[in-house]
Amino acid sequence: MRALRPPPGVPGTPLALEGVGRRYGSRGPWVLRDVELAVPAGTLLRIVGTNGTGKSTQLRIVAGIDQPTAGRVRGRPRTAYVPERFPAELPFTAVGYLTHLGRVHGLRGRRAAHAAARWLERFGAAGHAHTPLAELSKGTSQKVAVAQALLAEPELLVLDEAWTGLDQRARGELDRAVAERVADGGAVVFVDHDPRRLTGAADAVYRVQGTGLAPWDPRGPLTTDAPARPGAAGRRIRIEAVGPPGAAPPDGLPGAPEVAGAADGGTALTVPAAHSDALLRALLTARPPWHIRTVTEPPAPDGPVGPADCVGHPPSGGGHP
Amino acid sequence: MIGVQSGQPILDSLGYTAAGLLPMAAWLVRVCVTGDLPAARQVAAAATSPARVHLACVLTALLCSTVLGALATLLVARISGAHGADRRVAVPVGEATVGGLLAAVACALLGTAVGALCNWPLLRRPGYALLATALAALVALVQAPSPAHAAVHDLVSGSHSGAVPMPVPACAAAALLCAVATAVACALSSRRA
Repeated sequence: MRALRPPPGVPGTPLALEGVGRRYGSRGPWVLRDVELAVPAGTLLRIVGTNGTGKSTQLRIVAGIDQPTAGRVRGRPRTAYVPERFPAELPFTAVGYLTHLGRVHGLRGRRAAHAAARWLERFGAAGHAHTPLAELSKGTSQKVAVAQALLAEPELLVLDEAWTGLDQRARGELDRAVAERVADGGAVVFVDHDPRRLTGAADAVYRVQGTGLAPWDPRGPLTTDAPARPGAAGRRIRIEAVGPPGAAPPDGLPGAPEVAGAADGGTALTVPAAHSDALLRALLTARPPWHIRTVTEPPAPDGPVGPADCVGHPPSGGGHP
Repeated sequence: MIGVQSGQPILDSLGYTAAGLLPMAAWLVRVCVTGDLPAARQVAAAATSPARVHLACVLTALLCSTVLGALATLLVARISGAHGADRRVAVPVGEATVGGLLAAVACALLGTAVGALCNWPLLRRPGYALLATALAALVALVQAPSPAHAAVHDLVSGSHSGAVPMPVPACAAAALLCAVATAVACALSSRRA
């Protein structure tokens, strides 16, 4: 849990789609075609697009559940997937299912049961650990779906609207868990109908256009002086820390913070809000450790989240629950 | 007189038991392959691979039908009469039981092959899948080159001569067919959503 993101320059690319196409049936229309996508380690990728454009197909190919009709998928890291809907009518209790999935993911002996209990607790579902899956509410069922993906600390986490159905607290917890995976060098690919989900935290955003996939700057042409990082708007957290005298911040900090000098020899690091916990953990566990002086939320430089973030996401939500 | 009853000729009864196992094995594959919800299946497939999830389903069905077939064979061997079809030739129960077990295994393997080929991912519509399973199971039992037919036929004709058959070649052939059919189904499991 303590490894930092691999330093820039040596990024592993555990998964790459090369000229991938997918159609259903030998004469069906192409759902996706000529898709190129590299999923480097330690990155958070978002895929956007209106409903019915093949986002879920895209995610299933990334997760290795679906094989492309054309092109190839290079590499297959240890993967976990959270489906859009998880109506788990299986003959297991919540903790029994998670323990079983932990073993499927490769956890040995009691580690699977421990991880199952820990993640249920983290999502506030420990009280339902021994409830049969078929009797769980929709929200708790979704917590189980999310927990099964996180408990084995996968190298690649694929989330298809995983936040839908979770309560407010669990959504925040999932945001932080995603940032942790990325900070630990894992890759996360996600789709969510809420345009503000993990705003500013994504390293890259891709948009399904027609049957293709294109890198997308969510700020679009509206602001010409936009930072290079896509989605730089959104809540950010400023951490003022003091390191060993004369030392620069460690390489590969979570969330690629903006570094600036601060008063009394301190250093100010600003990251998207979702990465702040992971950044604090990285600073506190660095060797030698950094001292945290203040944690503040500065006012967003561009004001509130602009409508540019909503491009491609009709405010109606397109019929999402 | 066809059927399994107490005191009936042992080899005949074992033959019918093995024959009855074949459609049941095919049905068990359908139960295991289509029983999981797609979401649960996808979650497991991401953690391993679609082919391994499908293999697990088929192997579970094969294990169930083999165990059931073995139990049924032992029960039938116990209640049947140790004689041939004409009730004059004596048939050794031990040897007959081993022959019957081999025939049951051959039928379980071939039934599993039928189930693997006649269900998802090869046949997705329930109507076609059921029709194909029924036809294929029937053909596998009555058509000459089928190892299940050979195994059952050997038992029934052995009952007339009093010689207990050991359908080892039929078992090997059925195992090969089952492996090929399962491999085809597993290979296709990631291509059909």
